[in-house]
Amino acid sequence: MIENPCILTDVTKCIGCEQCVVACKKINDLPANGAPPRPGSTPDGLSADRWTTVIRKPDNHFVRKQCRHCLEPACVSVCPVGAMQKTPEGPVIYDKKICLGCRYCMMACPYGIPHYEWDSPNPSVRKCILCYPSLKAGKIDKPACVAACPTQATIFGTRDEMLAEARKRLRAEPSKYVQKVWGENQVGGTSVLYVSDISLDFLAWGDGRELSDKPLPPLTWAVLKAVPFEFVGMGVIMGSLYWIIERRRKLMDEKAAACTSGEDNHGQ
Amino acid sequence: MDNRRLFLFKGLMWILAGLAAAVAIVRFSLGLGVSTALSDTTPWGLWIGFDVMGGVALAAGGFVMAAVVHIFHRDRYHAAARPAILTAFLGYGAVAVGLLFDLGLPWNIWHATIYWNIHSALFEVAWCVMLYLTVLALEVTPTILERTPFQKTYRFFVKLALPIMILGIMLSTLHQSSLGTMLLIMPFRVHPLWYSHLLPELFFVSAICLGIVMVMVESTVTSWLYRREPEMEMLAGLARLASIALACYFVMKMGDLLRQGKLAMVFDGSWLANLFIAEMLLSTVIPMVLLALPAVRRSFTGMWSLACCSVLGFVLDRINASGLSQVWATRRFYFPAWTEFAISLGIVAACVLVFFFIQERFPVDPHGLAQVEAERKALEAAPPAFAPFAQVWLGEGWRKAAKVYSFLFVLALAFGLTAAPKAEPVVNTRAVRAVGASILQIGPGPRYVYFDHKKHQDEAGGSKSCALCHHLHQKGDVGTPCVVCHENMFLRTSIFNHEAHVADLHGNASCVQCHGKSEPIRVAPAKKCSQCHDKDMMAANPVVKVFDSKWAPSYKDAMHKMCIPCHVEKAKDAALKLPNLGRCGACHDSGTQAEKAYTAEFPEKTAAGERS
Repeated sequence: MIENPCILTDVTKCIGCEQCVVACKKINDLPANGAPPRPGSTPDGLSADRWTTVIRKPDNHFVRKQCRHCLEPACVSVCPVGAMQKTPEGPVIYDKKICLGCRYCMMACPYGIPHYEWDSPNPSVRKCILCYPSLKAGKIDKPACVAACPTQATIFGTRDEMLAEARKRLRAEPSKYVQKVWGENQVGGTSVLYVSDISLDFLAWGDGRELSDKPLPPLTWAVLKAVPFEFVGMGVIMGSLYWIIERRRKLMDEKAAACTSGEDNHGQ
Repeated sequence: MDNRRLFLFKGLMWILAGLAAAVAIVRFSLGLGVSTALSDTTPWGLWIGFDVMGGVALAAGGFVMAAVVHIFHRDRYHAAARPAILTAFLGYGAVAVGLLFDLGLPWNIWHATIYWNIHSALFEVAWCVMLYLTVLALEVTPTILERTPFQKTYRFFVKLALPIMILGIMLSTLHQSSLGTMLLIMPFRVHPLWYSHLLPELFFVSAICLGIVMVMVESTVTSWLYRREPEMEMLAGLARLASIALACYFVMKMGDLLRQGKLAMVFDGSWLANLFIAEMLLSTVIPMVLLALPAVRRSFTGMWSLACCSVLGFVLDRINASGLSQVWATRRFYFPAWTEFAISLGIVAACVLVFFFIQERFPVDPHGLAQVEAERKALEAAPPAFAPFAQVWLGEGWRKAAKVYSFLFVLALAFGLTAAPKAEPVVNTRAVRAVGASILQIGPGPRYVYFDHKKHQDEAGGSKSCALCHHLHQKGDVGTPCVVCHENMFLRTSIFNHEAHVADLHGNASCVQCHGKSEPIRVAPAKKCSQCHDKDMMAANPVVKVFDSKWAPSYKDAMHKMCIPCHVEKAKDAALKLPNLGRCGACHDSGTQAEKAYTAEFPEKTAAGERS
């Protein structure tokens, strides 16, 4: 399996046929007729049994949505037990055997990718795993969705190759594309890149605003790495405060006792 | 029952507990989907916002009072320390139970002890809560043992008390702030008014404030329920402490907003900004200002109402930060299902009942320092005999009360079980298709609408737009339901285009033509579609078949059921000389998987194709 596998999706080439969705369902053994979307969820087509989807935008724009396989994934960083894992090669995968079902990964994902099996009493978090087991075993040389694409709107290679290809396309037809590779730097970079003739900021939460280029996990780690010092520091502060206050009380008591005994002596 | 007030209150608690027990059965047998209003867009709801985020903060009284009484030696608050610590113990127990409801796989909760991810704030919270729960159990033990014959064990735990208290404070500092740290990774979700890099510090300071006001609420409520004289001197002291702590929090919060340049955002008039103002007024500003007035601190009513107001405000803060403010980013509103409220309230009720149980049987409250010492001397002089069942366990008059409470519990349980939602598939708005004629059945009743396929095709972008509706694999993978486009009656894309009707009927003056002269104008009394569009509203008849499906035909169905019959017909026309037109191979290469699959699935149809 190649290092840093990466998918580049060219929105201008997608015809919205959803062959990628079919291929994804087949290789991951997902039911064809899934449950209808839960009320109150974002109607982008993703669900626990639909790991990639094509979002329709005005003027025949089709945008494929799937897990971005971030270089520094927030979902992996927040999982208290490490059920979400970043593999050494790059894809982000999930281990049901470890999972608690806290759904922090779903909260922390800036793209709203992980989905839950709400109707099951024994639910898993489900999302695209970039066909990691099959790629790793050498059964396939590219993810099923990429292999299925009839127009090469979505292609597969190493991240460097894909970035180079993306930049080449932007340079070749500067008037056609928005001069930006989505996923190049967002949240520290992702392994699913997009070039497009429309803005793709709608793929992330945040009221349509652009995502920051800073990776997310350091936001938490900056605080968490201080935890041992806080812990010990609080112990020392409380312990010494107790000692000081206790000593002052004792001294005051002794003083009071001395005074009273002095008075007594005087009295005798 | 000599204390009617207490009796009724406990009865209410038992009803809430019974209701929660019923919902618990549904929750664990059918899953989160049936028992909550959560969704993939809002994966955390009331159980995290109130039970966990709020619960931990509400139980902060334990560590605050431990510090005030045992570290700072403020002896006049001594009477509040034991109830506060007991509340904290029960509160953390409630958090743990609440978490079991919220976790999708609660039987894996112990995994946090063996699978470590030190980069996760939740991992840190989980460990601190586990350890602190243990610490609190050790802190509560002396209360339980004090009036029993096990005086040696009691003295051992009393000696252990100080290091344990300090450990408790250390752990609380960590996880109270870590609840704020948990939200740091979501700058894209949490509304800017709540998001700040100081969230951990803000959560810690607000937990101290909440701890103090919560002790006030507890003390006033128990003295009201048990008809005891309220300890006004202690309450006034707590009120003064609360006022100072709230002022610190207020300065911190405002300073933080100023530092980030977000102060103007508070007054921008959006509903979230107003929610923020309401939260700040309730939790901080009103109690801070009023509790600073000596006159208020002399009034029992003033103190309990302001403490409650502050508690409410801070719980709102936790709910806002961990969920409600995120509506801003997700644009999907979530309101908890009644079952979620039932569980949250039921857990609180169960805690209150256990609190009363312990409080009535063990020396929890009131427990001033002088009284403690007097009692100790008496106990040392004459240690009690071992008679737990007569004196400690059941107490007097329990039989009569137990019958009533059990009855109420079972009644609520039965009611809850009948009222709780069952596992039923969510039914989409029905839009039924008809093939063979351009007519659609809308809804279950006899409502038929003319469907112009050509018009749809033209509007969707011509002959290349088939896939917009006749998907290869749209969600559900059969086809597209009408409601995907026609989702709202008053949208431009609606089945009923109100604007077009208004324009066609010459503007506002035409309202009465359909809606009649009734005031106010509503949808209900308006004319039925068929009253004008008689020819467009056909009922099913032998020629027009109505199919009972809510989907538009899928791509495959559109091809196989609409195109193939034609092709078969055309193939019969010798003049065309296209005998293959009706064969599968005309489209599918002979011997491809698609053909094999089709032949296997519909042998009779393929045979028909071959014959013609």
